[in-house]
Amino acid sequence: MGRGRVDLVFAALGDPARRALVEAVAERGDATATELAAGLPVTRQAVAKQLAALADAGLLSATRAGRETRYAVTPEPLSDAVAWMVDVGAAWDDRLARLRRSLAANLETKAL
Amino acid sequence: MQIEREIVFPATPAEVWEAITEAERLEEWFATEVELDPRPGGEGVFRWGDGDERRAVVREAEPEERLVLDWDDEGEVVLELEEVDGGTRLHVTETSPDWSTALELHAFAWVAVA
Repeated sequence: MGRGRVDLVFAALGDPARRALVEAVAERGDATATELAAGLPVTRQAVAKQLAALADAGLLSATRAGRETRYAVTPEPLSDAVAWMVDVGAAWDDRLARLRRSLAANLETKAL
Repeated sequence: MQIEREIVFPATPAEVWEAITEAERLEEWFATEVELDPRPGGEGVFRWGDGDERRAVVREAEPEERLVLDWDDEGEVVLELEEVDGGTRLHVTETSPDWSTALELHAFAWVAVA
């Protein structure tokens, strides 16, 4: 189910600066650390480090372009989080349907 | 991140409590093989036919009212009972440990998609 990856995504997005970076990359389509740092009060190195962490979490894809790395947003990790909700929700729907039958059967047994 | 479900059973709170705390009853709907000591601090082991196994510790157990299980791998399950017209309402909440950041993630997802 990719639970470990979901945890990594949450950790990566737990930091507001990183979330802002993902948004900035999403707005541009793709971007390098140099381009992103130009509009921010932080160094290129600091941005590059954050981008690498986001790429490790699978939130950004990294492509080498000359001396720089271009980053783009990948939507799959968000799908993992949605998948958790769908899987756990479906599991409870099944369990509660079985619990309903179990309770009904138990009442019938008592009535006999 | 959490999911919630609510359902009303035509049964008394005592009957529903039995079904959610007695191992042999849990084996009818929750898992294939169940061991559970339904007291605070008690341990639970749940095994499924596909070889899956999960362990939990009972954090709260208020008979006919509230059962809280902490999964040893992740998250918690809260089962709350309430007597209503026609039976007993069971409210289920399963939470993954990251649910608070997930709310931000959810808000963030909208930004990213927009």
